[in-house]
Amino acid sequence: MESLRRPALSLAGTDAARRRDAATPRDDPDAFEAAVRPHYRTLVRRLVLVLGDENDAQDVAQDAYLKAFRSWSRFDGADVRAWLYTIALRLAFNHLRGRRRWLAVLQRVESRPWTDPSDPDLWAAIRGLDVRTRSALLLSVVDGYTHAEIGRMLSVPEGTVASWISRGRASLRLVLGDDR
Amino acid sequence: MNDNDLDTELDTRVAALEARAPGRDDPPRLTPRRRPRRFAASLTMTPLLILGMVATAAAGAVVVGQLAIGREGIQNPGQPLAGAHMECMTPPEAAAFLAEHGYPDVVWQVEAGDPTAGGGKGSTTSTQQATPPDHGYVIPGSILDDGRPIMIVDQRVGASGDGDCFGQPMP
Repeated sequence: MESLRRPALSLAGTDAARRRDAATPRDDPDAFEAAVRPHYRTLVRRLVLVLGDENDAQDVAQDAYLKAFRSWSRFDGADVRAWLYTIALRLAFNHLRGRRRWLAVLQRVESRPWTDPSDPDLWAAIRGLDVRTRSALLLSVVDGYTHAEIGRMLSVPEGTVASWISRGRASLRLVLGDDR
Repeated sequence: MNDNDLDTELDTRVAALEARAPGRDDPPRLTPRRRPRRFAASLTMTPLLILGMVATAAAGAVVVGQLAIGREGIQNPGQPLAGAHMECMTPPEAAAFLAEHGYPDVVWQVEAGDPTAGGGKGSTTSTQQATPPDHGYVIPGSILDDGRPIMIVDQRVGASGDGDCFGQPMP
């Protein structure tokens, strides 16, 4: 399997970061789009898996993109993808909290749940995970971020991330085991 | 198959699962912030709006300038001769009273004639003079711009007086 290991989450203050800072204008929308747009498609996909709903994923992705644009001048120039995902995941968690409250009030919501006919058991198992566990597992498994990096992205201690990922993997192994 | 093998297969399947999820290539447009069209329209209209406001102010000033200037009655509360009851005085008494109170120069406007004469059309006169007439109902006026009080003396046929002396015989 191709290595998906990403660079360190924050290189602020390092030579590498300074080189990127110098090469990336902070007040230029074109520079922002050039740096962030390539990650938009994968961001939407990630949010579909985190939120379980296509409409919600697209809404949150758009919000995250616009929020990132507004914060572009404060970006440290290190890892655009990690920075964008951090913004998006925090918005997604807030969105889920708000949606739960809204659902409790209205008992209904216009949603478009995503289903995966190719691997329905795995998708069901992922959906069964807590949303933070799910996010941490995906950041680790798909993106290759370290526990420390994920901890900074989700604002939790590294040990918590390790615990989440361990539990998440154990749950998914059960699915794989049943498939055999 | 050990845990490492399982994890490797798991990673592959999870990555494949995410790759099948619907993605979109069209992030929101990041056009520079523009003023709302409504505001932009008002900006283009600014000269016209300013012209309109100036024209309205000028027209208003003309209209106000042509309005009758209302003045408080000289005996109204807060006015120099509040509560003097000059309406019960004869014109010479009123003139003396005004002189005692700092108004030696007075405009006397004498209303005379018969408003019922001439088949109802009436025939009256209104004259202003510097000396008080001998008789007539005194109707206290107000202070003119030059500081002189103006006093009405009603000598018309059928006049009935004013204030406390309403209906009393004409002085």
